[in-house]
Order: sequence, then C-alpha cells, then structure tokens
Amino acid sequence: MEFPTEIVGDKGYIHVTGDLDSEIAGEALRSAFNEIYEQGKRTIVLDLSGAQIINSYGIGKVLSCYQRLKAERGVLMVKPLEGFVKETFELLMLDKLLPVEK
Amino acid sequence: MESSRPNILLADGDAESQRVFRSFFERRGWDLAVVPDACHLGEALQGESYDIVIADAGMPGLSPNLLLGQVYQKRPAQALIVIGESPDTDAGVRLLRAGVTDVLTKPVDLTWLERCVEQAMCFRRHDDRERRTYAFVTSERTEMEFSCKELAEIHVISLPIVSRLLDARQLAENEALKLRLAVQEAMLNAWEHGNLELDSKWKEEITKDGVDKFSEVRRARMADPAYAYKKVFLTSYFNGARLEISIKDEGAGFLNVWSNSAPPAQNLSCSGRGMTLMTNAVDEVRFSRNGSEVTLIKYLHTAGS
Repeated sequence: MEFPTEIVGDKGYIHVTGDLDSEIAGEALRSAFNEIYEQGKRTIVLDLSGAQIINSYGIGKVLSCYQRLKAERGVLMVKPLEGFVKETFELLMLDKLLPVEK
Repeated sequence: MESSRPNILLADGDAESQRVFRSFFERRGWDLAVVPDACHLGEALQGESYDIVIADAGMPGLSPNLLLGQVYQKRPAQALIVIGESPDTDAGVRLLRAGVTDVLTKPVDLTWLERCVEQAMCFRRHDDRERRTYAFVTSERTEMEFSCKELAEIHVISLPIVSRLLDARQLAENEALKLRLAVQEAMLNAWEHGNLELDSKWKEEITKDGVDKFSEVRRARMADPAYAYKKVFLTSYFNGARLEISIKDEGAGFLNVWSNSAPPAQNLSCSGRGMTLMTNAVDEVRFSRNGSEVTLIKYLHTAGS
C-alpha cells in the first residue's frame, strides 16, 4: 500500500487512499510523510477523503506525524473532513488540534 | 427472469482440486469462476455477485476467521461453503455459528457438495424478508478465536452479526461502522496490552524516521513463542433487542495499563483513545477478570420502530 504525495508551493500533500486502521496503512502514511519531510517541507496536509474509517492505531500514526512537525515548528493540517472520519476526529477532539486547510 | 443455474465462485489454490470441481460443476451446467488465493477472492467479491462461494480454508495466507471477514465484510448475506483440511468438530461448529452455510472436509464428497449447493440455492430463492429472518435465526450466537497472526490483520476481520444487522437494516451504516471500530479497539487492546503486554508509553518513543518503540516491540513479541501463541476469544450474542460482544484475552488484561492514566481523548497522550471509541459505539462497556475480558453491549430498536 502506498499513499500518493504531491508538493504544491510550500506545502506537501498526502492523499490517504484507504482506511487508516492497520499496520500496513500506518507504514504507508509514515513512508509518504518521510518522503515530503525529507524534501524540507514543514507544512503537510493530510487528505483523508479516501478513508472510511480510522482507528486508534491510525490516529496514533497521525499524531506521530504531528509531533515530528511540531518539534520543528511545522504544522500538520487536514483537508475538510467528511463522514465517519470527521465524526471520529470530533469525538477525540483532534479537530481542535489539526487545522483544516480551506 | 433470474437464472436458476448456480453462479459459483471457487477459491482454491490447488490445481488438481480446481480441475475436479470444474469438471463436476460443468457437468451440471453450473457457472463457475475460480480464484487461486485470498487476495483474488477479495477482488472477485468486490466485482461480480455470486450465489455461492466455496472456499478452501487452507489457502495460503488465509485462516477461517480471515475468510469470514473477507467474505462477510463485502457480502453480508453471502452463501459460503467452507472446505476444511480435516474433520474438526469444534472448528466446524464455530464456523456454522458464525453463519457459514456449510462446512465440508477433504476429500470432498461431491454428492454431499451437490446437496449443499442445492440447499444454499433454495435459501437464495427465498424472498428478501425470509432470508433476513433466516440470517437472524442462525446468527444468534457466534464464537470465534483469533491467533496472533490473524490479529495482525485485524482490519479485515468482520463480525458476521454486525454485517447482518446492517444488511437487515437493524443498524444504520454509521452505527455499524462505530461497532466495527469498537470491536477492533477491544480486540487490539486484548491483543496488544493483554497478550503481548505492550506498554502504551512506548508509542511516544519515536526514532528520526518516525518508527516507534511500541511497533518494534510488537513485531518482536509476535515472533516470541511466549507471547505469540496466546489467543483472543470473541463471543457475540444477539436476542433481537440486545447485542452483546465479549472479547477475552489470555494475559493479565489491560486495566492495569490504563489505571495509571486517565483517558484523555483530546490530547496527544498515547492511550485512552480506543476506550473513547468503544464507549461511543455502544450503550455499556463492562470489564471483568481484571480487564482481560471486556463486554460491549448495544440495545437495538426492533425493525420498523
């Protein structure tokens, strides 16, 4: 499993194209993140529109990305969320932590 | 008009078995598609609809539980005949309780298989309402056990009763997703904290490449016989109004891990989020045996109410 990435200006984008609920998906996220991070980008946007579900394992991986960026004064953002993933973020108050890119 | 010829998907990696089944089915004029492994089975179920799936539970990379997950997650009402390696009454009963149409053992008695296919086709011909009623009658109680290897693939594990309640519109899609997530979380806790004795604090120890100690130790313990042979047991019970799902591990439980830290869902803490997801999905969460058994209880409204 691989998540496509793209660089637009100062930002890096990770398109999460499947559920974030397994070690394989977690590794795919870490690998995509590293790809952008190693290019010096410190504003990274997660596009979670391809995920139907995210569990505590996936959330842990997202927060790991958040912490790595925060340590370098970077920022992890999300594209506007929808459906069950949005509900999960709101329940865990992650929507207060990760700004939405409009 | 709907064809009365069974449209069958056979999942079997053995070339000789494929040849025997193909010849047997073709003689009867039945339509047969064949896939050689679990991966192709998943793909096939996403595309065409089949009256019956016949699957060899001994295919590489597949266990009975993963097979159930793969089939029922995509097709909750799928007629499924499982072929096992050897006669194992307990395993057979577990599969039947999980909603499998029939269980056969190798070498397959083709006359019996023909009877199973005809019976499954009979059920297929029932109208939708009858089929749903039948699904409940056969799905009141499910007992499953999961090995370490299966738990590593937890994202494909699906609880048949949840899929069937969704199919029967007793659960909304959103509620079914919440339940699926809650069961995943309870099983992850039982496995990681109960059986593998992993400490959540290790999630915070991250290398420059973003690899955390928790994942590293998890990998190591999955290969360590002292941990790897422990199982997680799941029992679900549905009586028409109340769905009860119990998950039990073989370790000391995880309450001792969590008791030292409040579940702070909204912050960066390494633990507590799973518990929040669980409590949000169901009406009650009960712990027993020092947390090595958790029971999720959801009350359902009757159909049409």
